[in-house]
Amino acid sequence: MFSTFFSYIIQGTAITIAVTLVALPFGLMLGLAMALIHTYGGNILNRIAAAFSLLLRGVPPIVLLFILYFMLSSKSFNLSPFWAGSFSLGIVSSAYQMEILRGALLAVGNGQMTAARAVGMSRVQAVQHIILPQALRLAIPPWSNEVSIVLKDSSLVYALGVPEILRRAQQLSATTQQPFLAYGTAALIYFVLVFATNRALDYLSERTKLPTHS
Amino acid sequence: MNIKRIVVLLSLIVAASLVLSACGGGATAANHLEAVKQAGVIKVGTSADYPPFESVDASGNKVGFDIDLMAEIAKRLGVKLEWVDMPFDSLIAAVQEGKLDASISAFNYDADRDEKIDFSDAYYTSEDAFTVADGFTGEIVNPEDVADLKVCVQTGTTQDSWLTDNLVATGKLPEENLFRYDRVDQAMLDLKNGRVDVMMSDYVPAKALADQLGGLRIVYQGVLSSGPMNIVIPNGDAELQQAINEIIKQLQDEGFIDNLAVKYFAE
Amino acid sequence: MSNPILETRNLTKIYGQNIIFKDINLKVNEGETIVIIGPSGTGKSTLLRCINLLTANEGGQVFLDGQEITAKNYNEDKVRQQIGMVFQNFLLFNHLTALDNVMIGLLKVKKMSKEQARQKAMEELKRVGLEDRASHYPGQLSGGQQQRVAIARALAMDPRVMLFDEPTSALDPELIGEVLGVMAQLARDHMTMLVVTHEMGFAREVADRIVFMEKGSIVEEGTPDELFYHPKNERTREFLWKITELYGKKEKEQSATA
Repeated sequence: MFSTFFSYIIQGTAITIAVTLVALPFGLMLGLAMALIHTYGGNILNRIAAAFSLLLRGVPPIVLLFILYFMLSSKSFNLSPFWAGSFSLGIVSSAYQMEILRGALLAVGNGQMTAARAVGMSRVQAVQHIILPQALRLAIPPWSNEVSIVLKDSSLVYALGVPEILRRAQQLSATTQQPFLAYGTAALIYFVLVFATNRALDYLSERTKLPTHS
Repeated sequence: MNIKRIVVLLSLIVAASLVLSACGGGATAANHLEAVKQAGVIKVGTSADYPPFESVDASGNKVGFDIDLMAEIAKRLGVKLEWVDMPFDSLIAAVQEGKLDASISAFNYDADRDEKIDFSDAYYTSEDAFTVADGFTGEIVNPEDVADLKVCVQTGTTQDSWLTDNLVATGKLPEENLFRYDRVDQAMLDLKNGRVDVMMSDYVPAKALADQLGGLRIVYQGVLSSGPMNIVIPNGDAELQQAINEIIKQLQDEGFIDNLAVKYFAE
Repeated sequence: MSNPILETRNLTKIYGQNIIFKDINLKVNEGETIVIIGPSGTGKSTLLRCINLLTANEGGQVFLDGQEITAKNYNEDKVRQQIGMVFQNFLLFNHLTALDNVMIGLLKVKKMSKEQARQKAMEELKRVGLEDRASHYPGQLSGGQQQRVAIARALAMDPRVMLFDEPTSALDPELIGEVLGVMAQLARDHMTMLVVTHEMGFAREVADRIVFMEKGSIVEEGTPDELFYHPKNERTREFLWKITELYGKKEKEQSATA
C-alpha cells in the first residue's frame, strides 16, 4: 500500500515542477524588465521600479497568492488555482530577481557602456550585446539561490488546492496516520529537486566562465 | 538572442493562456443552477484530509461519506461532478468568490458563516465528542469540565467557536490553554503524546481516528456545537439550494444516507 | 589652409559648481597628431569625451568635417562611428574574443555581413600585430595586448579622428612601448589623432602639435620644438621641466624668452 502512496506523492512532483517552470521564467522576464527600467530609466521610472520591488518584497508570498486568486480573478477573468498560484509566485519572485539583476548590471560597470557607445552603439544595442551577456553570467550564482526559493515556495499553492507535493502529503498523512512518513517523503523530494537544480546551475556557472590567464 | 522578441513572445503566451483558462461559463444562463446544468458539470470543493467523510486512498482517489453522497446528488442533478480539493480554510472563500459551485466538507451549520454563504438542509446530524488519551485520570461529566484542562481543537470549526465563545470569552478557560490545530490528525497526535489533555471535535472522525491510532478514548458524546451537516452553496442561490434540498430529502427517504452511515461509520 | 577636420569653439564643461574647462578653442587638421599634456584633473579626458559626445557640454560647439555635431538632435551614435576612442582602462568587452571585440561594431552598428566583418577585423588585428591572438579573451591577454586590441576595435570603424585618453597610463612600463609603437605607426599613416598622455617622449617624437592645458584652459600650444625648447609661458616651462626630470631626462633649456 505504501508504494502506491509514495507514487501518489511523487506524482505531485510534476505539478511542483510545472508551477516552478511557470513562476521562474515569468519572474525573470518581469524582473529583468524592472531591473533595466530601474538602471536605465529616468528619475520617475526609476522610482516606480524601486517602489515595485519594495512592495512585493514586503508581502509574504502566500498573502499575494490569496489576493490574486480570491480577489482579483472573478467569474469573467477566471484564473485556475494553478495559474493564479504560479503567476503570484512569479510576481513575488520578480521583485527578488530584479534586485539580483540590478546588482549584476551594476557590477558590469559603466566602462562597458562607455566603450560600447564609443564604437557607435546605441544604448539599447549596448545593453543587448554588451551589458546583458556579462550581467547574466554574473547573476547565475545569486539566481541559483532564487531558484531554490521558488521551488520551495511552490508548496504555497497547496492553499489554493493545487495538487502538488505538499497537499498530497497532507492528504496521505490524514489517511495513513503516518505524518512523519508522509511529510518526510515530501521533504526528501523537495531536497532532491533543490539539490539537483543547484548542481545544474553550478555547472552552468562553470561552463560560462570567461577564460583568464592559464 | 533578441530580447524584445522573446519578451513579446512570452507575453503572448501568457495572455493566450489567461484567455484560454477564462473560457467556459456561458453568461446566457438565467441563474447559477441553469449555468451548472448548461455546463454539464458541477464544481464541488472539499478538503480531502478528514476521514471518514473525505480522504484519499492509496491510489489518490477520493473516498468517504461526503464523497459518495455528493456523487449521487450530482448524478440526480444530471451533471458531472468535478472535485476541487483545497485546504479546509480556503473552501468558504472559494464558494463566496464563485470559484466553486458548492462545497461539501463536513460543514456544520454556523450562523456566522450563513452571512457569507448559504447552507442546504442537513444531510446528516453529527455529535461532538471529547477525546482523551488512555492515561487521562480526570473526570469530564459536563462539557464545562474541560475548562480546567489543556484543550485542543481544529481551527475554524464549530467546536472552535463553541469553546471560544462559551469558555474562553467567559474567562473559564484561559486563552493559552486552548490549542488550535490546522488538522484533526495533528491534534490527535499531540493528544496522544500528552501535550494536551482533551480534544473537542466531531464525534465520527474522532471515533475513526481514535480507533486507528489507539491509546485514545471518547469520554463524552453529545450535540453541543455541531449537529447538522450541510452542503455549502453561494449566498442567495435559491435555485441550487432548492434542487439540492429536494435530492437530500429523496435520499433520506430512500435510506441511501443511512446505508452510507453504516458503510463509513459502523462501530 | 584647408578647413580643420575637427574643431571646438568655446567649448565649456561645468560640473555642479566646478568649471572643468571654459572656452576651449581647438583646431585639428586632417592627418595631424595633436598631443594634449597638462597636470591631472585639468579636464583633458573630459575634453575628449565632450568631443565624441560621450559627455554633454555646457556651452560651445564641436565641428567634424564642418558639420556641427553638438547641434540639437544630431545623431550621436552616428558621430561616434566617425570618432574612434581608446581608453586608459582598455574597456574591452570581456565576454568576447579579441576578434569578436573588433567585429562587433562592424556587425551591429555598420551591419556588415559576418564574412566581411571577420575579414576587416582580422586586417585590423594584423595591423596592430595581434592576428595570432584573435580567439583569445581579454582575460587571457596582457595589458599591452588588450590596449592594442582596443585600438584595432576603434580603427575597424574607419573613423575620421582617433581619440586616445591616456592610453598607456594603466600599463606596466615594459608594455608601454608596444602600444606607443602602434600609435606612432598610425601617425605615420596619417591618421588624425588627438592624444592625451604623460609620455613626453612620444609627444616630442610623434606630435605635430602639442597643447598644454591647465586649470581648464589652454595655456600654450605649438610644435614640440617650440614648447620644449622655447616655451612662451612660465607655467609651460615649469611643467615640462618637472615632467622630463621625472622621466629621467634632464635637459635644462635656457629661458630664451624674457
